[in-house]
Amino acid sequence: MTKTIISREQWGSRFGYLMAIVGAMVGAGNIWRMPYVTGENGGGAFLIAYFVLLYLIAVPGLMGETSLGRYTRQGLLGTFRKIYGNNKFVGLGLVILIFNVVLMSYYSSIVGWSLYYAYHAVIGSFTQTQFDTAALWQAFSSNTALNVGMHTVAMLIVTGILLMGIKGGIERMAKWMMPILTVSLIAIAIRGVTLPGAMAGLEFAFSPNWEYLARGETWLAALGQALFSTGLGWGIALTYGSYLGRNDDIPLGGGIFTAIGNTSFGLLAIFAVFPIVFAFGISPTSGAELTFVALASAFGSMTGGYGWALLFFMGFFFANLTTAIAITEVGVTTYKEERNTSRSKAVLTMCGIIWLLGIPSAMDSSILGYLDFVVGNWGLPLATFIIMITIGWKFDASRLRTLSLNRGADLYVPKFWESIIRFGIPAIMLFIMVYFLYSNLTTTPWKTVSGLAILTLTIPLCMWIMSRREANAHSVTNVVGQSS
Amino acid sequence: MSIAAIIVMITCIFVLWGVASVALVYSMRQEERKLQLIKKQGSFEPYSPKALRDLDRWIEQNNTSEHVQEMRDVHDEQREALQKCKSYFYIWDQSDVEIMKEI
Repeated sequence: MTKTIISREQWGSRFGYLMAIVGAMVGAGNIWRMPYVTGENGGGAFLIAYFVLLYLIAVPGLMGETSLGRYTRQGLLGTFRKIYGNNKFVGLGLVILIFNVVLMSYYSSIVGWSLYYAYHAVIGSFTQTQFDTAALWQAFSSNTALNVGMHTVAMLIVTGILLMGIKGGIERMAKWMMPILTVSLIAIAIRGVTLPGAMAGLEFAFSPNWEYLARGETWLAALGQALFSTGLGWGIALTYGSYLGRNDDIPLGGGIFTAIGNTSFGLLAIFAVFPIVFAFGISPTSGAELTFVALASAFGSMTGGYGWALLFFMGFFFANLTTAIAITEVGVTTYKEERNTSRSKAVLTMCGIIWLLGIPSAMDSSILGYLDFVVGNWGLPLATFIIMITIGWKFDASRLRTLSLNRGADLYVPKFWESIIRFGIPAIMLFIMVYFLYSNLTTTPWKTVSGLAILTLTIPLCMWIMSRREANAHSVTNVVGQSS
Repeated sequence: MSIAAIIVMITCIFVLWGVASVALVYSMRQEERKLQLIKKQGSFEPYSPKALRDLDRWIEQNNTSEHVQEMRDVHDEQREALQKCKSYFYIWDQSDVEIMKEI
């Protein structure tokens, strides 16, 4: 039997990989969602629930996904082919890839929004006298051409960075974007907590309401934040892990540091956002309204507001950009391997597809909302379910832990990890999907049924496509073999 | 701020920023050690003593598995590294190393 040595680009440094993977996970959700979700769900009680789930589920899950990528040294489809063989089950990898492409098609619009606000911070719009941030957001939201334009610019930036490769593009950018984001948030947090009335914001976020720990909603909110914020099971950790060296550590860097580092940005956002929100008497909220209306207005009223707005919106843009790069890279790596083409061609093709698919979301925010509803509620939990079942049962969690996860590890991972991968995470993912179905069916029946119908059809369709593709590839190989 | 909120806040700082900072620094130092070993002797042993025991156990329990050869290959790789390398990445009992060298 001959061994095939696969030449593959690798991360240039440990720091570069760690910044890239944390950058991939830190996105809009950490900054505009986590502070509010924490305050709304019992403050300290929510954080306790969150930490428990983070250490019990997100950390082991990320370890598994990264070590699978490092073992196969291939993208999504290559990994599934290596595990399931040349058959229809490779289609499960295609399902996850499609979720990534759809996710990126509307996430690009969010990158575009943050870029637009970073531009306004640069030109000093927020510090102009009597500047109305609500009117700016309203005008921007209703300007279709501008939204498509920002989506296009965002995709052009992502394309440019990805064209420079793993080491020269993703790693190089993450190595300076993430430290800038950290310093920006720390500076804003220090300024925020020194404002009069700021302590009420910290009280809102941290004051523990212990009765919330007994509420199912608190645990569900913590679960959602722990899983969706860390990007577990979307193929990102698998793809980035595939560029690791054979003896690089995974448990500490790819597991603990990624999950905890990502959440540390959420904590930093609590310190940076809520003191300012409360100091300026703004009603605590989340999402675009908090960032683009409330905070933009607060920065305009602060002494040195130009600098604070610039730091915040540039940091926010970097957080979104590094995530967008990672989501797109999942498709790029896979496309490059499947088509056996150059990286440049793969980047241009994937980014072109995502740009085209993203136009409807950029034109109409209700389409963005619908896609987020379907992908967030069922698509991503399903992707996580597929990856964990694949690791736990098909590949065999015990084999992966013994062979790959503990290889070169800075931290020994015990046998307990296998049960979490085999039973814990898949069961929780099923529960989440069923719960979202139950809770949405009565409130938004059309969206729920149509979303589920699309998802249900996607799985057999992808399996059929891959089964045909694998069969064709097999017959071509046979013909070539016979003729030679 | 209430005492309870302050306690939660400080705990969060330790649990998150503390763990993340320690993990980052420790991971970078360990990587530096690996690079020094590679520079000095070309390689190092890929598995720790505990991980090696898991590897042994897996081979023992799954000796008819189609994947057992792959496991034996990495086991051999580990043994060769322990024989060849003068400095180790993980902390070993001399007796464990001697047993491995004799296999």
